[in-house]
Amino acid sequence: MKFKSMSRLAAGCAAGTIVLSLVACAGAEGGASNAEANKDYTQMSAAELGEYLVMESGSFHLDMPTQEGTTARERMSQDELQKVCSETRNRPSGEQAGQISAAARETIQYPEDGIQLGDWERGGELSWGGFGYRLSEDNYDDHTRRAPDGACYNCHAMSTERTGGTIGPSLTGYGKTRGDTEDTRRFVYEVIYNPHAYFPCSNMPRMGANGILDPQAIADIMAYLLHPESPVNQ
Amino acid sequence: MLRKLVMALPVAALAAAFAAHAQPVEDPLEVLEGLIEQVDSDYLTQSEQNLILMADNPALWTVEDGEALFYEARGPNNVSLEECDFGKGPGVLEGAYAELPRYFEDTGRVMDLESRLVHCMITLQGFPEDDPAVSKRDGSDSDHMQLQTYIAYQSNGMPWNPPLDHPVEQAMRDAGEYIFYRRAGNMDFNCATCHTATGKRIRASVLPDKNIPEEWTKAVSWPAFRAGHDHVRSSQHRVRECLWQMRHAVPIGGSDATIALISYWTDLARGQPTVLPDVKR
Repeated sequence: MKFKSMSRLAAGCAAGTIVLSLVACAGAEGGASNAEANKDYTQMSAAELGEYLVMESGSFHLDMPTQEGTTARERMSQDELQKVCSETRNRPSGEQAGQISAAARETIQYPEDGIQLGDWERGGELSWGGFGYRLSEDNYDDHTRRAPDGACYNCHAMSTERTGGTIGPSLTGYGKTRGDTEDTRRFVYEVIYNPHAYFPCSNMPRMGANGILDPQAIADIMAYLLHPESPVNQ
Repeated sequence: MLRKLVMALPVAALAAAFAAHAQPVEDPLEVLEGLIEQVDSDYLTQSEQNLILMADNPALWTVEDGEALFYEARGPNNVSLEECDFGKGPGVLEGAYAELPRYFEDTGRVMDLESRLVHCMITLQGFPEDDPAVSKRDGSDSDHMQLQTYIAYQSNGMPWNPPLDHPVEQAMRDAGEYIFYRRAGNMDFNCATCHTATGKRIRASVLPDKNIPEEWTKAVSWPAFRAGHDHVRSSQHRVRECLWQMRHAVPIGGSDATIALISYWTDLARGQPTVLPDVKR
């Protein structure tokens, strides 16, 4: 149906295989890839078309390198957890939730010398900062210049000195109310490392499991939450 | 409930009157104030400064720049954009943007304002694709932002009504919904992470909720003057910025994935009046 109204060039492209025409038709008008011109969108389900548009249509710069040493193509490819949480819109069935938290638990690695608190001052800076892992042609987060932050404040209120977001629960006074016990440390460590262990399809990133924060950064952020001198607990 | 209805009556009547005559409202602030009367929304009222700024919205200058540019004979073919068809016939701008994205027979694609403008600048005016007039899409000083803001202004206050009659329009809208909920990237984010609850904040910024149409219509009302950027920005810029914040891949301007998202987000604001050009923080 789309073929009818296409230009001669595009129609010629459409006759080729998808691989060939990707080359032949690339760079068409407006910078938009016309690879999609070969597909009849009405013959695909919303999910099929959505996947096609993200992963195959040439809508994204998927060859761009990422800070973690992969490419944007791998960034945009979904793992099992992302698929289930997307499909269920973060409301997995009881069975799915059980599988998610069990799988999440298996990803958690613990420090050899036990879960220690780091430097709460640095933890505060990491919590506030939003630098890290952003991809752009002209504003790419360069980790050789600056370590990635935790961006905790985007979603959580922490100390009352600064306004935090409300997508996640408030963590104001966290250490003061919970106490810096071994159990609390373990829980906080596990939630930062992979929150799906406790909250299947949580909105929170898997900071440890996905390698967003290194062990020292996690220890520093834990100190910011739990140390009695931290502004969080004043 | 009754109070809400009574309050909404004059606004609804106003909107109906404008719809009947297909006349855009002149003052975007008037439209916004109408929305604020209808719903109690932290997103709509979060910044008093923005409300004050709207009376002197710098994007209104951009509208004027765009008007001059639209009617000027330009490009290798030395013609104006008056023959460009934005969906309601060649040269018809009133209400055209409120009915985008839509399917265009001549390209066989669903197109948003930006991609349609690109198409006309290339096919009508003869600009090469890499001419800055076509390729530079950002900043109040770009031809694109000036033209887009002028064209969009001709739909101010009119209800969003992107057509879904053509099967490809429906397919793009539905794929856009799928992408909106598609969690990906090393942070596992999707659009829904930020836009499915009312009154939630990223730090101090109140986020628009896609489920509250009166909030959402302001959220999708681009072009808008971004006070923090000191520039007028487009829908495509907003898509790119959200994906950047989500740590997702960089989208290609005018690509079908971006148009699918814009199709979906516009459909969510259906029936609500546009605020064009808007002011955002």
